[in-house]
Amino acid sequence: MKKNLNFLFKFVCLVLFLFFVTACSVAPWERGNLAKKNMQISPNPVRSYLRSHVFDSKEASSGGYGAVGGGCGCN
Amino acid sequence: MRCFLLLFYLLVIHSTAVKAMEINSKVVSCSAVIETEQTNMDLQKFRGKVVYLDFWATWCPPCKKSMPFLNALRNELHDQGFEVIAVNVDEDSDDARQFLQQYPVDYLVAMDPTGQCPQQYDVKAMPSAYFIDRKGIIRHIHLGFRERDKQQIRSLILDLLAEK
Repeated sequence: MKKNLNFLFKFVCLVLFLFFVTACSVAPWERGNLAKKNMQISPNPVRSYLRSHVFDSKEASSGGYGAVGGGCGCN
Repeated sequence: MRCFLLLFYLLVIHSTAVKAMEINSKVVSCSAVIETEQTNMDLQKFRGKVVYLDFWATWCPPCKKSMPFLNALRNELHDQGFEVIAVNVDEDSDDARQFLQQYPVDYLVAMDPTGQCPQQYDVKAMPSAYFIDRKGIIRHIHLGFRERDKQQIRSLILDLLAEK
């Protein structure tokens, strides 16, 4: 019985610990590294644009890179 | 078991124990260092003045955009008892020093690479500004900076300066 209670206590502590740990977030003043240019999804927007332009011309198709719009078909 | 409880206490309880600054609460000093004066930022020294406490960083474009406006406003209203204190929160304070050499400002700049001050003031956005009245009480908190905010900031400061 005591062993079970001990296990239950540890389990509850672990769940609470995981809850608090996952609730961590990057504070607004800690975003210096995230704001760096090489942290962007597309670190070189001009080069990406040029490549997509060449791709569009060669393949006669464009788009399909992202998930823009809410599915209304208006975008 | 005792070790487990201690670890639990340190990691969980201490991680959330931060008292935040809110409107109508008294200002507290924090660990930022004003380099031009080689002293810790002591906001009690500014009792009797209206203080615009600004949290900024070099990686934050709106922060940099606000600086010429704040500098002009500070120089215009300094004689009436207005002061701007800008707390830099860059992890590497040299970034701020280099930036300030290029774009100098007349107001006080304090460095806090540890991030203790913004944590104490519960900064929610960059830049964040705390309007402190002559009695040392936070009267307004302004988040972000846009062109259209200039008029509002100015009128809030003039209102605080008008109070005796």
